Amino acid sequence: MIDYLVAISIIVGIYAIFAIGLNLEWGFTGLINFGHVGFLAIGAYTTVLMNLSGAPIWLSMASGVVLAAFFGLLVGIPTLRLREDYLAIVTIGFSEIVRLFLLNEEWLTRGPMGLFGYDRPFEAMIPFDYNYFLFILVFGSLAVIYLLLEKLVHSPWGRVLKSIREDEDVASALGKDVFRYKIQALMIGSAIAGLAGAFLAFNMQYINPRNFIPMETFYAWIIVVLGGSARNKGTILGAIIVQSFYTGTRYLQDYVPLASHQIAALRVMVIGVLLVLLMMYKPQGLLGRKEELTLGQ
Amino acid sequence: MLQLIINGIVLGSIIALAAIGLTMVYGVLNFANFSHADFMTFGAYIAFVLNVALGLNIILSFFIAIAIAGALGVLLDFLVWKPMRRKNADLVSLVIISIGLSIIVRNAIIFIWGGSTRNFDLPVRRGIEMLGVTITHNQLIGLGTAILFMVLVHFFLKNTKLGKAMRAISDDINLARMSGIDSDKVIMWMWFIGIGLAGVAGILYGLETTIRPNMGWFLILPMFAAVILGGIGNPYGAMVGGMIIGLSQELSMLILPSEYKMGVGLGIMILVLLFKPKGLFGGTKA
Repeated sequence: MIDYLVAISIIVGIYAIFAIGLNLEWGFTGLINFGHVGFLAIGAYTTVLMNLSGAPIWLSMASGVVLAAFFGLLVGIPTLRLREDYLAIVTIGFSEIVRLFLLNEEWLTRGPMGLFGYDRPFEAMIPFDYNYFLFILVFGSLAVIYLLLEKLVHSPWGRVLKSIREDEDVASALGKDVFRYKIQALMIGSAIAGLAGAFLAFNMQYINPRNFIPMETFYAWIIVVLGGSARNKGTILGAIIVQSFYTGTRYLQDYVPLASHQIAALRVMVIGVLLVLLMMYKPQGLLGRKEELTLGQ
Repeated sequence: MLQLIINGIVLGSIIALAAIGLTMVYGVLNFANFSHADFMTFGAYIAFVLNVALGLNIILSFFIAIAIAGALGVLLDFLVWKPMRRKNADLVSLVIISIGLSIIVRNAIIFIWGGSTRNFDLPVRRGIEMLGVTITHNQLIGLGTAILFMVLVHFFLKNTKLGKAMRAISDDINLARMSGIDSDKVIMWMWFIGIGLAGVAGILYGLETTIRPNMGWFLILPMFAAVILGGIGNPYGAMVGGMIIGLSQELSMLILPSEYKMGVGLGIMILVLLFKPKGLFGGTKA
């Protein structure tokens, strides 16, 4: 039972890290990143590929994080000076290109067969169940990221981000280089997604391109929106709720007369319905502050 | 090469048709509607049910399916988009709602019809061969129907009162309102026509390939590319843009592995955004 809870908690922690990166981009800065999963994939594959070619695991993880941030820069340059929704279109395309690359460049990624047999940090040294160590590692990292982000968003830098979200013309009228701030937010958010990717790889011990479908991005979205955009605490709460929903409905097919593909489709539909209803009636989510997140309403 | 050009023209005309509705909504309501392509899929499945499960003839199924798709567009305007307009919602909320709708429609289709591929009940006929290339019957039908509908859209926009009102709203909604245009009514018709045309495109695409839950979703990027290339809010731009994207996707196979076809539209789109963000023909928004 404890083992099971630890295993579930690790997944919650990884999704919380993944989504808290998105919260910096969407919640605080108002960037519509629909390709967040692409950065998760880059983090996971870079970590694994570096390690499989002989690099120590810490260096591999660092490379994954840096490369994810670098791709954040690349995606941001053509889009962040333009309308908000261009970023949405380009990022979703970017994440699909990443997935197609992983699927088709078999010389590098082994394509649909995926990758396994890589190291995990300190695995040889841990005398007890590795999951317990991974649990500590994931939640330790989440705590550090949480504290750093809280510090950042309450700094002058963070206040500029929020002003960009609410009205970027005002921010630029005050002499702030809006484009720079947006790029920085996107790079930091992507780096965090890259780290989540490394943890995902450690948790699964086997990665393949199917782990990185566009829907993963929207799990992060529902986590952020449900918990309350621009509230890092809310993101963690959102991750707990969404994962509980998934775990809770996993054995549903033993009780309802529906085929397994129908239950899977229904679960995803619930996410979609929730996203629409929240954006229509409660865009500030559970913990958000209505007076702060106006979205023009 | 010639074969790729023909395939490209057929695909391009389908993208063009679907992109008309996308660009109209983008121009008038000012947001990127990520659910648009899933209504292609919806139209194709409704036509499939009428044609295969209920045994109606394909032409009748075609028209009923378009009407149902268009009606769904109007229903969603009533349930979702109109209340959001009343609240004066920010475009980012609309974009996020549209992705939610896209998830709902796609998974409702999987829930009802499963994930496997389907086909219309049509006699298989041999393609026409000339100059070493093959044009299938379905390609001919698809191309002909697409062109017919594009011509209809042209006459609608130029010659009818509703069409002119739609262009006026797309140019400047406040000005149009002041000159006495009932914007809610025009927007309702815009949804009917836009989503109806997406349904047409979906049926044609299903005829040309197969009917499957992801068929529309995979075209949303080429469609956005067509819209941005042609200038947002410009239906003619979207038609030309669709053709350009369809042709470049197919012709890209000469130099790129076909798995990366989808990336071509994205590549063109990024180039347009970098160098000509208003599109080739100028749009109403930038």
